[in-house]
Amino acid sequence: MTVTDDAAVSSGATRSNDPLVELVDVQKWYGDLHVLQDINLTVQRGEVVVVIGPSGSGKSTLCRTINRLETIDKGLIQVDGAPLPQEGKALAAHRADVGMVFQSFNLFAHKTILENVTLGPIKVRKKSKAEAEALAKELLDRVGVGHQAAKYPAQLSGGQQQRVAIARALAMEPKVMLFDEPTSALDPEMIKEVLDVMVDLAERGMTMIVVTHEMGFARTAANRVVFMADGRMVETADPETFFTNPESDRAKDFLGKILKH
Amino acid sequence: MTPLNAVLDNLDQFFKAFGYTLFLFLVCAVASMALGALLVAMRVGPIGVLRKVAAVYVSLVRNTPLVLIFIFFHFAAPIIGINFKWVQIYVGSFDFTSAFATAFIALSLYTSCFVCEALRSGVNAVSIGQAEAARAIGLPFSGVMTQVVLPQALRASVPPLASALIAMLKNTSVAGIFFLAEATATMRGLSNDFSSQRLGIFLCFAIGYIVLVEIVSMISLSFERRWRIA
Amino acid sequence: MRLRKAFAATAVTLIAATGLVACGDAGDDKAGRDVEAKNDCDDKFEAGSRMAAIADAGTINVGVKYDQPGLGFKGATDDVPSGFDIEVAKLLVADLCIDPASDKVNWEETISDNREPYLESGKVDIVLASYSITEDRQKVVGQAGPYMVTGQRILVKSDSDVKSVDDLKGKEVCSVTGSTSLDRIKEKGAKGVGADSYSECAEKVLDGTYVAMTTDGTILAGLAAQNEGELKVVGDEFSEENIGVGYGKDKPEMCEWINGVLSDAFEDGSWAEAFELTLGPSGVETPEPPALLPCK
Repeated sequence: MTVTDDAAVSSGATRSNDPLVELVDVQKWYGDLHVLQDINLTVQRGEVVVVIGPSGSGKSTLCRTINRLETIDKGLIQVDGAPLPQEGKALAAHRADVGMVFQSFNLFAHKTILENVTLGPIKVRKKSKAEAEALAKELLDRVGVGHQAAKYPAQLSGGQQQRVAIARALAMEPKVMLFDEPTSALDPEMIKEVLDVMVDLAERGMTMIVVTHEMGFARTAANRVVFMADGRMVETADPETFFTNPESDRAKDFLGKILKH
Repeated sequence: MTPLNAVLDNLDQFFKAFGYTLFLFLVCAVASMALGALLVAMRVGPIGVLRKVAAVYVSLVRNTPLVLIFIFFHFAAPIIGINFKWVQIYVGSFDFTSAFATAFIALSLYTSCFVCEALRSGVNAVSIGQAEAARAIGLPFSGVMTQVVLPQALRASVPPLASALIAMLKNTSVAGIFFLAEATATMRGLSNDFSSQRLGIFLCFAIGYIVLVEIVSMISLSFERRWRIA
Repeated sequence: MRLRKAFAATAVTLIAATGLVACGDAGDDKAGRDVEAKNDCDDKFEAGSRMAAIADAGTINVGVKYDQPGLGFKGATDDVPSGFDIEVAKLLVADLCIDPASDKVNWEETISDNREPYLESGKVDIVLASYSITEDRQKVVGQAGPYMVTGQRILVKSDSDVKSVDDLKGKEVCSVTGSTSLDRIKEKGAKGVGADSYSECAEKVLDGTYVAMTTDGTILAGLAAQNEGELKVVGDEFSEENIGVGYGKDKPEMCEWINGVLSDAFEDGSWAEAFELTLGPSGVETPEPPALLPCK
């Protein structure tokens, strides 16, 4: 199979020639372990890409390289036509443009919900406090936790915390949103409330790279599914094709295991 | 004549002595907290040279007896031109001159190492995800530290910080050997003038220290309680 | 106490080791006078008296200073301390039929803070450590003598304009923490600062941190001799101290004995000889022996 990008064919004309995130020949090792091998992926503006694969396949690492929470050893990563800065102010500015949602929410434990969402806009985007709070309240309302603004993270449920985390990322008005297994740490009854927010986001045209096992979300919102195993992109396809008729044996094997339940 | 007459008749000296002790404690607490925070930022920061410098500084100063640091600033530093003769601040009946300034420098430099280590234990207690989330919204290293990591580290470090500050409060007595009429030096002066009341004098000054230490512990406890929720 | 003593010892050792204070010119290479032990102790002292007990045991603990050149000083390389206090102590020791030059005499260092506690606990039998006789001290220990009357004076840099204690009003003047001198200089309107030893004070006067230091003129003369051309003693004596011998309060019989030995030494010239030998080199003229205070 080929590892080159076929998004242009599969995801429609509107996004055909507007690449936002590009990974070219990306390699990463942890000591002897080759965790990312020959990664070539282009995500168009407005596209939603779901990354799927067994644990240890490198999918989270891939996600985290895009805002350089993980460094790469070889290759090139570009966002909006500019390669990732190395360190310092330029890197901070880059990260401000790339929203990230973590598996374990990582809300700032010592700040209120409102302060969690206004911190970035005030300190990084240099907005006034009033402006940042107005934006934060709007976003918190949108994700359904507006009435919790004065509480601390520990006083909220996991689903609520994760929705706040999404609002926190959105408050930076990012070009692209990265989701690193956003529902894996949640109790089952809370998964839907987070996925609903993500679907809504996709419908509004946000460019998203989502590492998840949620097939429902992939089918509803994704333009493309990338299947990873052993640090490689094994298969790339539109969701319908991937779930009903996967090409590779690895994908068949993997889907066989997770779809049984 | 009670065994406490020596102190009761010299209450002005008693309170002035503890005034020096308290002043010295307060200014050293502020300075060593600030310097300790800077040191811990260097130690956990991204710049290798600064990490090394901070680590070497902490292990060097922390492993040197406080008395030697005092001796250095009083008797060795003047030889290479470092002295505090120029410090002449007079507030009421308190003189903040060379002896006070030297004690301030020696104690602050010394205590900042313990503050740094207390804060570092707190930084280690802050989950890595907190720093990652802070970086992910585009905060530079300084913002990650001042907005997210240090405030939480401070909460986790309150007990060890309180220990470091209480130790420092008692360490102010070393200044009494070096020209400063703080509580311990004054106790020795009174003991000499009123040899027959040594026990009473000792008890009064010991109680003075215990009261001050108790106040510091209580402040620390109230911070612990207030921050437990968050 | 032990900790503080350790501090002091550390400080002194370090200062000496780093060569910051030129210790040990005065008082060095002087064995002092040869004082021969008496041999008439079999029936000299009343049975049951402390003197008889010490003479019987054949050993004695004497509290002295280690940091006062000319009076009681022990350099880092010296085996035994030297100075006027030690010379007087030798006379007392010899009278108990103990050889002052032998190792039967334990010269214990008693810093100012230690003198009463050491006497009260019996750690030392007698104290000769520039020990001023005061009423308050006599509440807890016995004091006999005096064997010397000293006057407090001031020591300044050689190029200083200070002429007398009157020039020091409002200025910081160094002396040893817990010493009577520190109280006296404050009474004179100066701001007293307390150091741990006289050599530290001298160091701070030399480096210009403090304009002057103050204590007994004899000690200052010793320090001035150590730092010839850099330090000088100025002004008149502005307070007098009677320097006596400390003993345990529960052994009142020692007072008459001490005064007896001192009185003999005043008369036979050994007191004057000792003074000349120890304090003479610092330029102090040998005075008339002081009048002994009656025992209570």
